[in-house]
Amino acid sequence: MEIRGSSVSVSAQPSKSLVAASRASTVRKGAERGIEWWSIAAVAPAVIILLGFLLLFFYGVYQSLTDLKLGRPLVRFIGFANYSALIDDDDFWNSVRVTLTYGVSAVLVQAVLGLSIAKLFASEVVLARLLRPVILLPLVLPPMSVALMWTTMMDPQRGILNYLLSLVGVAPFPWISDPATALVSLILIDVWTYTPFFALIIFAGLQGITDDIREAARVNGARGWATFLHIELPLVAPYILIAAVFRLIESFNQFDIVFGTTQGGPGNSTAALSVQAYITAFQNLNFGRGAAIMVANWLIVLAGAFLTVRLWQAVRRRVT
Amino acid sequence: MLAKLAALRGHSTKIARGTLMCSLLITGAIAAEQPAHAEGINWRQFEGTSIVWAYDIHPYADAVAAQLPEFEKLTGIKVTPELYPDDSYWNKLTIQLTTKSPAWDVVGTGIQPAWDLSPSQLLEPLDGYLNDPKLTDAAYDYQDFFPALRTALTWNLTDGQIEPGTGHVWAIPHGFENIQLFYRKDILEKYGLKVPTTPPEMSAACEKLKAADPSITPLGVRGVRFWSSIHTAPVSIAKSYGVHDFFIKDGKLDTGLDAPESIAFHKDYVDMIKKCAAPSFANDNWYQVVDGISSGRTAMAIDSNMFGFWNDVAGKPASGKIAFAPPLHAPNAQNFESNIWIWSLAMNAASQKKGASWLFIQWATSKEVDLNGAVAGKLVNSPRTSTWTDKAWLDYASKPEFNDFVDTFKTVQDRAALAFTPRVGFGEAMNAWAVAMQKMVNGADVEKTLHDLATEIRSSL
Repeated sequence: MEIRGSSVSVSAQPSKSLVAASRASTVRKGAERGIEWWSIAAVAPAVIILLGFLLLFFYGVYQSLTDLKLGRPLVRFIGFANYSALIDDDDFWNSVRVTLTYGVSAVLVQAVLGLSIAKLFASEVVLARLLRPVILLPLVLPPMSVALMWTTMMDPQRGILNYLLSLVGVAPFPWISDPATALVSLILIDVWTYTPFFALIIFAGLQGITDDIREAARVNGARGWATFLHIELPLVAPYILIAAVFRLIESFNQFDIVFGTTQGGPGNSTAALSVQAYITAFQNLNFGRGAAIMVANWLIVLAGAFLTVRLWQAVRRRVT
Repeated sequence: MLAKLAALRGHSTKIARGTLMCSLLITGAIAAEQPAHAEGINWRQFEGTSIVWAYDIHPYADAVAAQLPEFEKLTGIKVTPELYPDDSYWNKLTIQLTTKSPAWDVVGTGIQPAWDLSPSQLLEPLDGYLNDPKLTDAAYDYQDFFPALRTALTWNLTDGQIEPGTGHVWAIPHGFENIQLFYRKDILEKYGLKVPTTPPEMSAACEKLKAADPSITPLGVRGVRFWSSIHTAPVSIAKSYGVHDFFIKDGKLDTGLDAPESIAFHKDYVDMIKKCAAPSFANDNWYQVVDGISSGRTAMAIDSNMFGFWNDVAGKPASGKIAFAPPLHAPNAQNFESNIWIWSLAMNAASQKKGASWLFIQWATSKEVDLNGAVAGKLVNSPRTSTWTDKAWLDYASKPEFNDFVDTFKTVQDRAALAFTPRVGFGEAMNAWAVAMQKMVNGADVEKTLHDLATEIRSSL
């Protein structure tokens, strides 16, 4: 196989030196084959752990095909009945809508704000340099603490946000207490928490753009905005997209912020799939149905991550 | 010599008589002691064991936790309390028990969650321990618990469903609550308001109160998206409207949540919530209800009666300002209804330290611990009749700062009963009711929402 694939093997009249080279190559590859066993042994634990994770995942998928109810000893295989019930359930489609709206909106806003903040950090403004470590604070807070903190701040009667709004003459805002504003409020919390992540990644990308590139643009007559739009933005685009992949996965799976503030309410207005799966499995004890919701959530995460990765690859090819 | 012999015989006889008397006395004393030993148990039989006791963060838990050193001194058993916030606790409890984890030995539960955990026998039946003279002290007196509470925690499983009243004992009452309306006397007096008795009266009172002082929330009630918000005000008031969560129709279980009585109740209740409750209703749990009434930001509340009591305790900011009344009832109803909640101690069936766990349950629900907890102002609604006839407790609870607590308790307790139908699947149906309630309060059509709710519940029956 190795010989067939080499340039040597396709030569019709091999010279002595070529034959010798071929033999050396074969010996070297044989030796490499010996090393490969060690490599396999070295990576084996990681592969076994990965297989373990996959096994657990497929076990979860199997559970979604059963009528498993926590606390009930009898479990039956029911095929796709749980999925069929979900497809007919308006609440499920509402959860899909909430999950997509939450994930996509939060990531888009974070990307725009993160880019602005990163650009500010890359500038020579002294205050921006001072703020660099401070802006990381939301990232190091446990998400459940963030949720509880914002729940208090968003209290329509006694929350500090409405107090601040009252100072400028704005009427009280219902925040997480009204179905019309609850989802937007949760997106705001997500944006506050994770924008620093975008800023950090994009700032690293901006640091990689050398001055000679900017200088070349300037020599060619590009002004500040044009330099940003046509030079910097395309160069940091892969960084933005790689951050978006991570954040999209996390936002589609977001649980702590939603459960810690609204538990999916008021009504079903913020019932993201992750929260609905948890409630179905662990509060309603219907684990089979809950597992089916988790699989649906996983499919959305997979599709979102796949599309973003493809976009990232395309942009990266274009840039390089 | 003869005289000496006679004297010696006489002396021997005295000794013999004395010995006989002593023997009789000792035997008698031992005989008299024996019944007492038979009644007692060896409290140190599991000395050196460590157990974990999980519970909600709750003053009832504080009442027991404060006395834990005495238990550890008595038994040599180390107890580690693990206390969690309300919502987290119930979720963790479900996960711990259903995964058959032995990490928790003794757990706090209510009747309703215990129903859902029954089919897999995740809780250890306790009747075997109760009837074992080596494990249960005769002075424990299980019959001292209110009969209604004992009955509620006793059931059989038939075809995976609950048959209450007979069978195994699944938990021991540790404290209980009945649902009442409690209110700030100072606020109602200030604005000249009478204590409402029906939802429409409450709505009218709220409108007056809001007009007089917009900063006050007229009524505090739970509204979270969880069954715990249904088991207080809604189910108590609904029962007075004739609402049945479940009933038997043509030999089959059905829900009555879309019946005309339920529609009438929900229209009144939703209207009342819109006019009376805080804008944060959907996020409010009992913590917010208590905070509102104790701070005076809320004028009235419908919830468990002890929340009023705890804030009347001397030294608290609201001491003496909170009074009690029966819960609201339907305008055309003769009387009110009040749901009960029984805080109970149960044993994890997967526990590997069941003997030590039982000694802890027995001690924590004993007459002494219940009474001490009550007199300390923590374990307000003792489940033991002996506490309610004890002078120390009655003298304490009748202090002026508690206003009409004892009288209202007695009035309400006469009519207080479990308002839910005992059944496996309680959590799923009642969580759905809580979600529907939020939807209706936020403007969804009452009849359609109840129809959808009933359809959802029927599909899972």
